[in-house]
Amino acid sequence: MRRQVLVSENMAESILINGLITSGVYALLAVGFSLIFGVARIVNLAHTAFYMLAAYLVFTFTSRLGLPIPLSICLSVVSVAIVGMLSYQIVIDRLRGHEATILIATIAIALIIQESMLLAYGSSATPAIRLITGYQKILGVKVFYRELVAFGVAIILLVVTWAILMKTRLGIAIRSTAQDREIANLMGINVTRTGMITMGIALVLAAIAGAVVESTARPFMWMSPLVTVLAIVVLGGLGSIKGSFIAAFILGFVETIVTVMISEQAYLKEAVALAFMLAVILMRPEGLFGVRFEEER
Amino acid sequence: MISTVIAYVSRGYKELRGEIFVLPSRTVVVIFCLMLFLVPVITGNPHYLSILTLTCIFAIFAASWDLLSGFTGQMNFGHAAFFGVAAYTAALLNVYIGLPPWLTIPIGAIAAVLVSLILGVPCLRLRGIYLAFGTLAFPLIIKDIIPAIPGAGGTLGVQGIKAIVPISSSPVIEYYIAAALMVVLGFIMWKITDSKTGLIFHAIREDEVTVRASGINTTRYKLLAFCLSGFFAGIAGGLYVHLIGVASPDAVFTLTLSFQAIIWAVFGGIATIYGAIAGVFILYSLYSLPEYLSFSISELRMLLVAVIVLLVLFFMPEGLITWIRDKTEKTCPRCKLQNVAWRKTCRVCRVELD
Amino acid sequence: MKWLIKGVIVLLVTCLVLTVVGCGEKESVSPTPTPVPTATPKPEIKIGVIGPMSYIQGKHHLYGAEMARDEINAAGGVTVGNQSYNIKLVSIDSNEITSPSDAVAAMEKLITIENVDFVVGGFRSESVLAMQEKAMEYKTIFMGCGASEIQLCQRVAQDYNKYKYWFRVSPVNGTYLATISFMLTGMVAKTIGNLTYPEKPKIAILAENLQWADPLVAKAQQYFAAPPPNGLGMTVVGTWRPSQVATDVKTELNDIEAKGANIIYTVVSGPLGVAYTSQWGELQIPAASVGINVEAQKGNFLTITGGYGAYETTLNTFARVAITEKTIAFWDNFVSKFGEIPIYTSGTYDAIIMLKDAIVKAGTLNSDAVVTALESTNYISPAGKYVFMGNTTATPHDVAWGPGNVTGVGVQWQNGELKCVWPYAGGALGPLQYAGTVNYIIPPWVKAKLKP
Repeated sequence: MRRQVLVSENMAESILINGLITSGVYALLAVGFSLIFGVARIVNLAHTAFYMLAAYLVFTFTSRLGLPIPLSICLSVVSVAIVGMLSYQIVIDRLRGHEATILIATIAIALIIQESMLLAYGSSATPAIRLITGYQKILGVKVFYRELVAFGVAIILLVVTWAILMKTRLGIAIRSTAQDREIANLMGINVTRTGMITMGIALVLAAIAGAVVESTARPFMWMSPLVTVLAIVVLGGLGSIKGSFIAAFILGFVETIVTVMISEQAYLKEAVALAFMLAVILMRPEGLFGVRFEEER
Repeated sequence: MISTVIAYVSRGYKELRGEIFVLPSRTVVVIFCLMLFLVPVITGNPHYLSILTLTCIFAIFAASWDLLSGFTGQMNFGHAAFFGVAAYTAALLNVYIGLPPWLTIPIGAIAAVLVSLILGVPCLRLRGIYLAFGTLAFPLIIKDIIPAIPGAGGTLGVQGIKAIVPISSSPVIEYYIAAALMVVLGFIMWKITDSKTGLIFHAIREDEVTVRASGINTTRYKLLAFCLSGFFAGIAGGLYVHLIGVASPDAVFTLTLSFQAIIWAVFGGIATIYGAIAGVFILYSLYSLPEYLSFSISELRMLLVAVIVLLVLFFMPEGLITWIRDKTEKTCPRCKLQNVAWRKTCRVCRVELD
Repeated sequence: MKWLIKGVIVLLVTCLVLTVVGCGEKESVSPTPTPVPTATPKPEIKIGVIGPMSYIQGKHHLYGAEMARDEINAAGGVTVGNQSYNIKLVSIDSNEITSPSDAVAAMEKLITIENVDFVVGGFRSESVLAMQEKAMEYKTIFMGCGASEIQLCQRVAQDYNKYKYWFRVSPVNGTYLATISFMLTGMVAKTIGNLTYPEKPKIAILAENLQWADPLVAKAQQYFAAPPPNGLGMTVVGTWRPSQVATDVKTELNDIEAKGANIIYTVVSGPLGVAYTSQWGELQIPAASVGINVEAQKGNFLTITGGYGAYETTLNTFARVAITEKTIAFWDNFVSKFGEIPIYTSGTYDAIIMLKDAIVKAGTLNSDAVVTALESTNYISPAGKYVFMGNTTATPHDVAWGPGNVTGVGVQWQNGELKCVWPYAGGALGPLQYAGTVNYIIPPWVKAKLKP
């Protein structure tokens, strides 16, 4: 196949705008994932599955139950948070200490969500639900209003999350539990409850991503973002929220650059992002901002 | 002449009674192997045999994962890389050079070993989750790159791979080859874990620092684990393409395949080898069987499997076979031998079992 | 108390799940039972239908087959010698889109456990290549109704005795797909060319990243740029190859617009088709979209794209025009029975009818004899006249393409309906035009940009 790196006039703007939008969504997912891992030490492989569930629920509430779209979005976010927290309450309580098993349990949960959606709606994409239609030309690049809203929402949410983490007592509880669970417990922090609340926050982030950003839902749409989120979290360094945030933007831009610059091999964007992640962690094994964990007994 | 035969038979019988039938787990293994070999006698149907052949191949695959990740604790999320590389190597050798299966499969396995070294060396620096996700990336990158390599078949994959034997009698013979290989390789893997090397693997998982402090070169053992795991996974990969006849990126390098090895092994019982094999037989049959029952149930099969996995793990977090083993066997506190759980005293040293 | 709260939450969640699952519009596909004959049960010919049943392609495999079965059985069945048989369908989900090895296993099950006499179906080329091997192993006639890969028929030329049991019914093979899509594009190029005159239009190529698209892309790059009469003499501004399951091609579309393309030539068969067209329409990319977009053949395309699929133009096998005297009746019948318009995989309808004719002609169910009878097929179907290419050609047992045979059609979404716009009189196929064909419409926003 002929390689082609044609330069167009607004390639830089295209990379900038598209990169920002893509990264914003990834950041929502990655920060949530990182929170759950940092606090509860759970690798939640079903994280993107909940993101998908939120998109499906919006469709269900809107077109099957006839609710107005904003209400559907709120309901769907709340539902996903509840379902997520519940499944983890039941599963994680029981499996504490068996890391490998927890991992498989989260995969199983993701598969159950996938199969349920497959059963309910079949394998083709659900018809699109669009809150806002239309586009805006920014710097010569066409962007959907929806995506601007999503980007705005993402930034707001991330700022709010940062504020919670840094400025509130809850945030201190979360951060200290993430740093050292045992000591936090000794200090009187209810680590289990903190874990649950963190899980809730993370799920809300993921659910908003799914409900607001996506206009259609497909039963397998959780797999590809999962890989990217894993790459981001690893790149940024596990346990570091800041790391995940920055890495989300790095990999988001890497993917966009690949898409724009080598359009004929655009399908390689995921592979390039992964390779980039690999290269970095091989040089710096704990990721960009990661903390070297002491061996936990 | 007859007396030597009688001597062997009686020795065999004593062996059986003394070593094998005393423990339910060993008895089950023997019965299992027996049933494996009797299957073609019970049913000659090529479809059932194909499914069982695939099950045996995947059993080797899952067991090889367990050898690496279960025992040494290096979570490998990209096990499909070994499988796929061996599969493609065997496929290309067979289609372009015309090498027969009994050559392509071992060479494929060696290619997998090379990849495992390429994977293993950098992974020495990575720990825990970083290792897991680092390994996850490998097969996915290969999956996206392979179609771009000319001559590797593109997204369609390599077609027209010859079966292991000419078609006239193939399902039965293919089945026996796969089943025999599974028993032999499974036994070898189990023996490895039962040996000093296996002990070191296990120790590395529990506390690597201490092992290093004891003067053992953990790096060498970790790499050894990677290579062994890669080799056995490679054999599985080579067998697979010769059975299916096609090697395509969507079949051998997927995330799903890597995950499935982990699911099977953890479901059956991590760090046991036989757990992985049991996991494959139970779950894969559950997945393939509902087809026969009715059309609508077959849509549910993945859901069924996922729910069962979740339930089993909920009640038996260590894995199904491990749980069963713990319920049916006790270790003698003095001579450390395994005993049946309902015995009052150890079968060898007569010490009381509590 | 705590457990009470938990219990209530579990109950609520279960209700939620049930609501979602229950509200789902899952079209379950179960084989409709054959009408029970009143006299002694007739012997049956079992025909296997293999396809990705949870996707529309597989569903239409089944629908087309069911229509054929009902027609044939109602007319008295298949007469072989002096014995009359009913047709019984056995369908199986090949899962071929996700897993080629599942597809092979499904084929094997169909043949060795269900003991079918013949098989129709197949969709994804990667999987059909493997399924074909399996069917040939058992010397079972397999009529392909979905895969365009040319190798499938080239194999028949390479090893006739092994592969002779394979016939392709739909679509036409990749080479012809290229040809037809170029003709369709040529028509659009001419219309656009009138607006960009004196300059020639610029064209962008957007193809999914699957093997079947590679030769089309290569040919397109060459043909579009070559000066007439060997080509269309346009400037190819670039080629974009997103993944077939990509959900966001905004970057690619922006790039295409930035490079000044007036036409986008598409080679898409997967879900990418929905994402692409939705975004193309919503962003009002000022380029006419034409080519191959299998998703756009579906009846609910406009709903799924939220209306932005309007004016999308694609190749198709069926359209509601008089390709032959049977077409419109077939179309209406299909719609009234199944509530959807037929996509090309419902060619199983034609496959089974041709199979029946061949069996009757051969006078036996023996595969070899039926193969010989199939080779001399000359059958007027809703898609055109079917003739299989001969054993001395490069692709034996392939459906012959050309005016008078099967030509394919070009369709465009206009005013909420899928209308036929090609072939048109005065175009590449000469005077050929099917009654009911309408003119191609340039998307209004494209026209507005070119003629402000």
